[in-house]
Amino acid sequence: MSFAIETNELSKSYGDVRALDSVNLRVKQGEIYGYLGLNGAGKTTTIRALLGMVRPSGGTVKVLGQTVSPNGGGPWSQVGHLVESPAAYPELTVRENLEIARRLHFIANKNATSRVIERLGLASCADRKAGALSTGNLQRLGLARALLHEPQLVLLDEPAKGLDPAGVVEIRELLASLAHEQGVTVFMSSHILTEVDRIATRFGIIHEGRLIEELDAQRLEELRSPRLEISAHDLRAAQKALANAGFDVRANEGTMVLTEPRAINAPDHIAALLVTVGTPPTRLAVEQETLEDYFLRLTGGER
Amino acid sequence: MNAFSAALWAETLKARRSKVPLMTAAGISLLPAVGGLFMIILKDPERARAMGLISVKAQLLTAGVADWPTYFEVLSQGMGIGGAVLFAIITAWVFGREFSDHTAKELLALPTPRETIVVAKFVLIALWILGLSLLVFVVGLGVGAAVSIPGWSPELAWTSFWALMAIALLNLMLLPLVALVASAGRGYLPPFGWTVLTLALAQIIVVMGWGDWFPWSVSVLFAGMAGPRAELLGVHSYAIVALTFVGGLLSTVIWWRSADQA
Repeated sequence: MSFAIETNELSKSYGDVRALDSVNLRVKQGEIYGYLGLNGAGKTTTIRALLGMVRPSGGTVKVLGQTVSPNGGGPWSQVGHLVESPAAYPELTVRENLEIARRLHFIANKNATSRVIERLGLASCADRKAGALSTGNLQRLGLARALLHEPQLVLLDEPAKGLDPAGVVEIRELLASLAHEQGVTVFMSSHILTEVDRIATRFGIIHEGRLIEELDAQRLEELRSPRLEISAHDLRAAQKALANAGFDVRANEGTMVLTEPRAINAPDHIAALLVTVGTPPTRLAVEQETLEDYFLRLTGGER
Repeated sequence: MNAFSAALWAETLKARRSKVPLMTAAGISLLPAVGGLFMIILKDPERARAMGLISVKAQLLTAGVADWPTYFEVLSQGMGIGGAVLFAIITAWVFGREFSDHTAKELLALPTPRETIVVAKFVLIALWILGLSLLVFVVGLGVGAAVSIPGWSPELAWTSFWALMAIALLNLMLLPLVALVASAGRGYLPPFGWTVLTLALAQIIVVMGWGDWFPWSVSVLFAGMAGPRAELLGVHSYAIVALTFVGGLLSTVIWWRSADQA
């Protein structure tokens, strides 16, 4: 099977610091791959290695079936990218910045620039200097440059960074349509896990340079621990009653949480028990662990 | 559009939209302006004495003769030192701005090869320097005519023109190392430091009598700042400058191709 991205034992060290440690990534064509990790986990280093911007200390990188050479060789006419913060020439307009990218990508169609400006909602500031753009519009410019040449693969580092809520939804829908309608592979790293959760079809979790988990959305759904969340007017009395009944109760910001299967599978019994002791629940819900919870559980972080 | 013309178009657009070309043109125009001022002072000794330090400097530089040969010498010597600084500033800007503006990463994973972009930057720098050198000569002719000094001949103008161009070329050939320092140092400050260091060393080494072996001293000696160039420079001097150029160019290309862009 050919993968859009394939790394084998990819490692990168900076002196004594092991930024990437034997990372084996497999990203299928047309997937939206959410690459998650804490600050300094190795997300950006991975993206830089995929783009040939850093020389791996060990291992190999293949992108769209082509080996990425440490000398800048790669299938770059088919790859769009946004690495870390978007950057642009401040004294050039949005259109001129994109025009440079169009020419360096050898795109003959002069309308490509106008098309991507429209697509990314940059028409109102197309002739404004990039140095005068808001953070959100600068991010849109970065995304426009990544998508200008209609690539088969886009590598995006924090694509929602700096965007307002409407912009976040807009970009999420754009990326989803690229993947679902045009078969574009999207590899995105993000700190905003709820955003990744809504769009990604596959996840990789990197921690301290190691890929500690790789799974698809369905498997993630299965792995997320369910829990019973309970609210009551007299939380202390309710907690005491449940503890007396032998439940392991965790209280968290005005809500009690039960994770035992006998509680999750029988919330009606819990409700009856609380009514009996005179502290009826005001809210009783079986919730599933969020991606953020799952991520923190896996990486040993705390909420 | 091929890769090189695309890259050169991009580099030219960046320069055109910047104020740096205008500033460098204004800066280099000071050279004939100051040369003209020296000529005015030297034409009138009474005023020269009244001018204090400036007239002393003018006397030192020109041996007190206000004519076209002396004026062209002033331009050449100014191009030797001033050109070296100004051209290094241009190179520091062309390469260093990609790191200061964080745009270098947008130039690395493109169908246009990295070395093509580096070469396009050098071609832009060469054209820029050619333009500034022509500006010095043309403005110099205008200023010289305006201050009305004797000793003009078309042959002298022709010889002086090529001397100016040769000094500019000698300075240009030292710039790839400035580009390398700007790239590896990721910004403007390291190449500025490098330029100050090499200029200071060039002066010291000229005084020590080894200037013909030190590439950064060759343009200064060629400009005639330490005497007739034929007595001070040999084939080895030009060969060393050429080697510095080739070594600097290759090093810069290799750095852009291979170094970690973290």
